[in-house]
Amino acid sequence: MLVSASARAPSSTGLRGDKLTPLSSSRLGTYAVSPGLLEGTPGEAVRHCSAPEDPIIRLSSLYLYLFPGIIKSRDMSRKRHRLVSETSGLKRRQKRGPVESDPLRGERGSARAAVSELMQLFPRGLFEDALPPIVLRSQVYSLVPDRTVADRQLKELQEQGEIRIVQLGFDLDAHGIIFTEDYRTRVLKACDGRPYAGAVQKFLASVLPACGDLSFQQDQMTQTFGFRDSEITHLVNAGVLTVRDAGSWWLAVPGAGRFIKYFVKGRQAVLGMVRKAKYRELLLSELLGRRTPAMVRLGLTYHVHDLIGAQLVDCISTTSGTLLRLPET
Amino acid sequence: MLGFLSARQTGLEDPLRLRRAASTRRVLGLELNKDRDVERIHGGGINTLDIEPVEGRYMLSGGSDGVIVLYDLENSSRQPYYTCKAVCSVDRYHPDVHKYSVETVQWYPHDTGMFTSSSFDKTLKVWDTNTLQTADVFNFEETVYSHHMSPVSTKHCLVAVGTRGPKVQLCDLKSGSCSHILQGHRQEILAVSWSPRYDYILATASADSRVKLWDVRRASGCLITLDQHNGEKSQAVESANTAHNGKVNGLCFTSDGLHLLTVGTDNRMRLWNSFNGENTLVNYGKVCNNSKKGLKFTVSCGCSSEFVFVPYGSTVAVYTVYSGEQITMLKGHYKSVDCCVFQSHFQELYSGSRDCNILAWVPSLYEPVPDDDETTKSQLNPAFEDAWSSSDEEG
Repeated sequence: MLVSASARAPSSTGLRGDKLTPLSSSRLGTYAVSPGLLEGTPGEAVRHCSAPEDPIIRLSSLYLYLFPGIIKSRDMSRKRHRLVSETSGLKRRQKRGPVESDPLRGERGSARAAVSELMQLFPRGLFEDALPPIVLRSQVYSLVPDRTVADRQLKELQEQGEIRIVQLGFDLDAHGIIFTEDYRTRVLKACDGRPYAGAVQKFLASVLPACGDLSFQQDQMTQTFGFRDSEITHLVNAGVLTVRDAGSWWLAVPGAGRFIKYFVKGRQAVLGMVRKAKYRELLLSELLGRRTPAMVRLGLTYHVHDLIGAQLVDCISTTSGTLLRLPET
Repeated sequence: MLGFLSARQTGLEDPLRLRRAASTRRVLGLELNKDRDVERIHGGGINTLDIEPVEGRYMLSGGSDGVIVLYDLENSSRQPYYTCKAVCSVDRYHPDVHKYSVETVQWYPHDTGMFTSSSFDKTLKVWDTNTLQTADVFNFEETVYSHHMSPVSTKHCLVAVGTRGPKVQLCDLKSGSCSHILQGHRQEILAVSWSPRYDYILATASADSRVKLWDVRRASGCLITLDQHNGEKSQAVESANTAHNGKVNGLCFTSDGLHLLTVGTDNRMRLWNSFNGENTLVNYGKVCNNSKKGLKFTVSCGCSSEFVFVPYGSTVAVYTVYSGEQITMLKGHYKSVDCCVFQSHFQELYSGSRDCNILAWVPSLYEPVPDDDETTKSQLNPAFEDAWSSSDEEG
């Protein structure tokens, strides 16, 4: 009984062709896409290149630009050779080409740029500006292909105080990322004129800058920051803290309940679109071209970033573009 | 490669560098090979595999049918095609065989004369390899999920046993009884592992999402409870710390003992600094884990960048440990893979799965040259070929 299965996944040629075309992003200006998406890394000269006229390839390179996390999904044989040559100290000549020739690699450098870009996708009008724009950690993974690097950069941003990471209640793994400034202004606006305003202002002034964690403990609040139990109750009523365990609380966004409801429903709806497709797989271009279902209030692109980053769908590169397929397990 | 060899020869480079580079290249080339096979003895799924640390020659496997088999991995025939044969086995007719499924087997770390096995029949049995009889049996009140004996310790012979109860029991092989109990977990203990660096440090993983590091000499509880968010470290906080968002299924120390890898049913694998319990935040992505009991995974040893081999559904996923990159998925099993072990002398991986097979993954670096007919003919040197022809005409 011999099993002759291959241990290498098939590598397709379609996406590779797209990747090697230098600066196909210069062609993207012809589409009606919001300019925030196209201003990738600053300082890149927009060059004219001979990108192919075929609209399908253009569309797929647009998605390449939006979802660079896809590129590295299944190309196992090339990864092996890269590690082998690294170990034996050899450097490939081709790798020393100019950095600007590959605009998608520029995305790799910054989780911060990814977060700013994703913030543009958040529908502010839906919540009448009462909620700060929330981005999920899984969406950052879909833009920054190396997850460890993304995690470390997010941790740095958190330590510098630029962003806050918040536990979204529906899934212990889903973390929301909010800019600290946005969070502060919205919370102050929300608690304006209410009885707990004093406690909230004290919290924002003393605890937020000092402690960058996701959660707070009883003795930390009472001893280090001098909060009384009644003030902590005010904070929970204001929605700034949610109970985690006896004596410990998660940081929360007031009014995030609506967002979480829309998010969970939207995620299920987009997953359902892939599930109902024949063979449970859909081309990314086709998915984004479909009419937005009524349940999806936050936008298809927002949800697709999240699904790809959370690995709830497998991204497979094919000759007609990226394919989203539900995993078998 | 020739550059490495000449640098080593002239003393420009450490010999270890060549060894590590060659090991890494071989691990990156792991795949199924039609020339290597492991004899199929088990009638049920294979739960555990262990290769003896002394020579790397003998492998034990324990299955869901309660059978324990000993294989010889060495290829002493001169042929490339080799089946690893079973030397002996504790089969269903053996008087001391386990009644239910064997969950963990482990060789005695210092020689191959003894091995231990624990099973769902609430016992831990100590076997003499040469006579294949039980030398000692430890009975427990609950089913045993996992046990481990320290690979480096010379000062104690304690076997840590994780059962369905929340207490970790330490059994002493010298005296034959349980010497003490570690309390702290709230649900069943799914995996235990001693540190390969320090004699007395033990890590335990439980279904209550917590991983605790213990010094077994200390009377007052665990040293550290690992916290995935790297929050404040204070005594009051310990109860809320969780290592994963689901059950923690598997534990593995890296070969130098400085880092600890854990997998959980939240489909995550995390790398921890074993000295201060900090989450290094290396992100391996989604590591599918649906196992209700322990998952046994392993780390490579002796490569320049270490690799971790994790059973992932019906494949084995290979990641680099410190950067979290997925190298490949080794596909070959028909059903879910339960365990895998790495043989560091030859850089081979053996994996056991629920389809009753053990597969051997062997490094293949060179494509085999296809044999043409001309080569077999031209083996004869033309100088020795007969010059005369057998026809009647003049040649």
